[in-house]
Amino acid sequence: MSMFPGTVAFDEFGRPFIILRDQENQKRLTGIDALKSHIQAARQIASILRTSLGPRGLDKMMVSSDGEVTVTNDGATILKLMDVEHQIGKLMVQLAQSQDDEIGDGTTGVVVLAGALLEQASNLIDKGIHPIRIADGFEMAAAAALTHLDGISEAFPVNKNTRENLIKVAMTTLGSKVVVKCHRLMAEIAVDAILSVADLEKRDVNFELIKVEGKVGGRMEDSMLVRGVVIDKTMSHPQMPKVLKDVKLAILTCAFEPPKPKTKHKLHVGSAEEYRDLRKYEHEKFLEMVKRVKDAGANLAICQWGFDDEANHLLLAEQLPAVRWVGGPEMELIAIATGGRIVPRFEELTPDKLGSCGLVRELTFGTSKDEMLVIEQCSNSRAVTVLVRGGNRMIVEEAKRSVHDALCIVRSLVQDSRVVYGGGAAEVSCSLAVARAADKLSSLDQYSYRAFADALESVPLALAENSGLSPIDTLSEVKARQAAENNSNLGVDCMGHGSNDMKAMNVIESLHSKKQQIALATQLVKMILKIDDVRSPADGIQ
Amino acid sequence: MQPQILVLKEGTDQSQGRPQLISNINACQLVVDAVRTTLGPRGMDKLIVDHNGKAVISNDGATIMKLLDIVHPAAKTLVDIAKSQDAEVGDGTTSVVILAGELLKRLKPFVEEGVHPRIIVRAVRTAGQLAVERVKELAVKIENRSPEEQRELLSKCASTAMSSKLIHQQKGHFSKMVVDAVLSLDAPLLPLDMIGIKKVAGGALEDSFLVAGVAFKKTFSYAGFEMQPKSYTDCKIALLNIELELKAERDNAEVRVDNVKEYQKVVDAEWQILYDKLAALHASGAQVVLSKLPIGDVATQYFADRDMFCAGRVTEEDLRRTQRACGGAVLSSVRDLAPAALGACARFDERQVGGERYNIFTGCPAAKTCTMILRGGAEQFLEETERSLHDAIMIVRRTIKNDAVVAGGGAIDMEISKHLRDYSKSIAGKEQLLIAGVARAFEAIPRQLCDNAGFDATNLLNKLRQKHHQGEVWFGVDIQKEDIADNFASCVWEPAIVKTNAITAACEAAAQILSIDETIKNVKGGGDMPAPGRGMGRPRMG
Repeated sequence: MSMFPGTVAFDEFGRPFIILRDQENQKRLTGIDALKSHIQAARQIASILRTSLGPRGLDKMMVSSDGEVTVTNDGATILKLMDVEHQIGKLMVQLAQSQDDEIGDGTTGVVVLAGALLEQASNLIDKGIHPIRIADGFEMAAAAALTHLDGISEAFPVNKNTRENLIKVAMTTLGSKVVVKCHRLMAEIAVDAILSVADLEKRDVNFELIKVEGKVGGRMEDSMLVRGVVIDKTMSHPQMPKVLKDVKLAILTCAFEPPKPKTKHKLHVGSAEEYRDLRKYEHEKFLEMVKRVKDAGANLAICQWGFDDEANHLLLAEQLPAVRWVGGPEMELIAIATGGRIVPRFEELTPDKLGSCGLVRELTFGTSKDEMLVIEQCSNSRAVTVLVRGGNRMIVEEAKRSVHDALCIVRSLVQDSRVVYGGGAAEVSCSLAVARAADKLSSLDQYSYRAFADALESVPLALAENSGLSPIDTLSEVKARQAAENNSNLGVDCMGHGSNDMKAMNVIESLHSKKQQIALATQLVKMILKIDDVRSPADGIQ
Repeated sequence: MQPQILVLKEGTDQSQGRPQLISNINACQLVVDAVRTTLGPRGMDKLIVDHNGKAVISNDGATIMKLLDIVHPAAKTLVDIAKSQDAEVGDGTTSVVILAGELLKRLKPFVEEGVHPRIIVRAVRTAGQLAVERVKELAVKIENRSPEEQRELLSKCASTAMSSKLIHQQKGHFSKMVVDAVLSLDAPLLPLDMIGIKKVAGGALEDSFLVAGVAFKKTFSYAGFEMQPKSYTDCKIALLNIELELKAERDNAEVRVDNVKEYQKVVDAEWQILYDKLAALHASGAQVVLSKLPIGDVATQYFADRDMFCAGRVTEEDLRRTQRACGGAVLSSVRDLAPAALGACARFDERQVGGERYNIFTGCPAAKTCTMILRGGAEQFLEETERSLHDAIMIVRRTIKNDAVVAGGGAIDMEISKHLRDYSKSIAGKEQLLIAGVARAFEAIPRQLCDNAGFDATNLLNKLRQKHHQGEVWFGVDIQKEDIADNFASCVWEPAIVKTNAITAACEAAAQILSIDETIKNVKGGGDMPAPGRGMGRPRMG
């Protein structure tokens, strides 16, 4: 970091000359300094997340700049809300984010692993190994670990009959979350939701068919899975019936009001007579619309737009219950669930475009006037809604995130049904495999392999530490037993059940998620190790 | 007293003569230092943060030079040659900058000793010509080979181009992708814009794949979209440039309605316009409707009703590629919808890629397009991957058009250096010294390769000089073994055009900088600077 920018370069006459715009305001870090600073930053972030790993992991409370409080233990959410400034920190955030997008679970694990890898890399740099050499070694070690994972993975059939097993997987994911109070219930909800939406032939799960709704109040045990749609709306008029059976729904995206041209227009009203005509016309229009809906055979109208009180009154008088201001995505879900078609015009309404369902009812919560509309017993049960209840808003939000994680993990099992065992068992097994591979290498890459193996152990270490166990003792015991018994199912006994066999304890993670974690963490580490020069505006990097 | 004669506006910066020349050379040197360490397989990346806090991590010479925001007028020349190398061949941008910088460095002592710049410039030109001739002479033509052999050759060139990038561990995977992509294009022109590159965060690099057709992200959709079918075989595609929304036909028009009966007619007329368009599309037999402009909810539901698929707000580029791939025309009116105006493809699918959904068209008859879908951990990672693939694609295109290759890894540069040195010994006069200087400058590339990898550059260069003296033209640096090796045999190949272009550009830039002896800079020229008085080549006078 000899000459520029930051310091000024001089020409033969001692006059400074400037090459870059505003170069005196720029900062530059090069070489090992840059690397060390990056590693430091990344490790800091990893150490923040470290304590939320595992079933005994603790939550973080984040307060945003406008005072909004979030309590969570989901890695991606924590990082997103931390509002990281540092460039390398941002990379970590993106890493967690992409694990979240791809799998939805294991976001904390991936960051902890990346942090551990960087820590190891830092030691190797001190030994004088070229950073790219280290990165290459890590990448090869990761490849070895991934092959090993394939080897120890077990098939895990997913179909309607394996619901019980899937629930166990979902329970592993939920183990670290706040919903652990009603662990089993939440897991059941998640699995049932996925199973009713999943296309097991195509191994595809369309997430847009699953809606997660939260409602503050009640107990978490009151959460439920509605095989149908829940909308946060009520009947448009309080006197309309609260429960409807054998419902035919008209799903309308047109407003319940006299049609208006979109072109700018002016209606010239010359006399009282004409005014009365207009009034009559509007009234007739309303009646006509209601009639069309009724003629088609509908006994419930779902409207995307609102209608005024006059229309409301008219609907009540005509005994046509209606719901107004239903959002676009909900309209779609209702249409899918009830097998109806979304109708953009009253003129197009025909009986075969109506959706049908067995029951529509209003749910009332507690003493407050909170009400929701539930559409159930639909002809097509592929659209489902998870309704999460909880004591306060923070818990509901966190529970929603937890359910989302569980949904994601079950989905990834539907897509790729192989599993490995959790509780650090897979990591320890990979670590042993990579260390074995290191012994067979003659080149400098040995060091990277060993470092990689050590880094993999950070996950079981953190698990043990968070569970209040003695980390080193626990890890060495697990490692020794895995090596002696050649059993890759042994992991850290976080819950104190007295057994290390994760298979017996049903601590299961999907192979896809685990592989993704290792691949993503290695990728990020490689990228960070490759940077040797940072230029930024002076205040950018501390 | 004689009045002072003012020729230039006050404050104009004026400097001239030899000091100016030397100062320019020094400035260039500093710029070269910025990209020096990115060269070669062990080259490092740079992280550059701009004023808006956006970070870019790159290894691509041209990208870095562009981002450095260089204001020094002479140093800007180097940015220009990097850009022109990027535009012309796409790769070798770092080498061209290093070469130009080294030429200037080697020639600076001669300027200091008082050799007239013109003579130096002439020597540089001669040397450049000789070097280009030597490259052409040595280049191995590969003609009339079988497709397999050609593919082999192309993928070797692609992997050499990628070896310095972040993705070099996966170069096997990517070089195959790149070669497949380029070979699927129309033979003589190989239009670059027919290769689409899409990035999806998440997943491992190896999950990147090539779609033999067009793929783009699901666009914003209205209610009803989920009810449309998501896959077709042998479908017809209508490409539109019209809005399918219920809206005012003319913004500035105003309709005057005199009585109530007319009112309904206006409304109906408006609907009729939209319905005519939709009906025409339906009647044409198209199953997939794509539009550059929005497709509204009414249209979405209309199509859903008729089992058609639609996507609005498709970007222009994607639409054009679809049109070229599937045939047909982009229609701005549906009035005379001839069957020929519709495109067709064998298969259309909506597929989940990571967290995104993609529309994928394959089996397109008209040809000749493909889309790469890149996966990777962080956004930065994906951007750098895209830049690296761009380089590789350019190289493959170049090689197809101009199929002569030389060995990389500094081999060809050593050979040119030797050739020039031999030539210098055969001539008399000042030029002898100058050309020997240029000859030394060519050694900069292998030297930098060694330096970046942490090898003993002097030692390896000595070995290389000896080998080349013995007539082993293809000996270069072997990064893997920390030694020298026959790089032609070990398949480190690059297209000859990369080298000839780099040499020409570097020599020209050097010649240009050497022939400047005066800079006159107007004060106004700095007017667009954010902070006045800063950022110019020299501090203000007075």
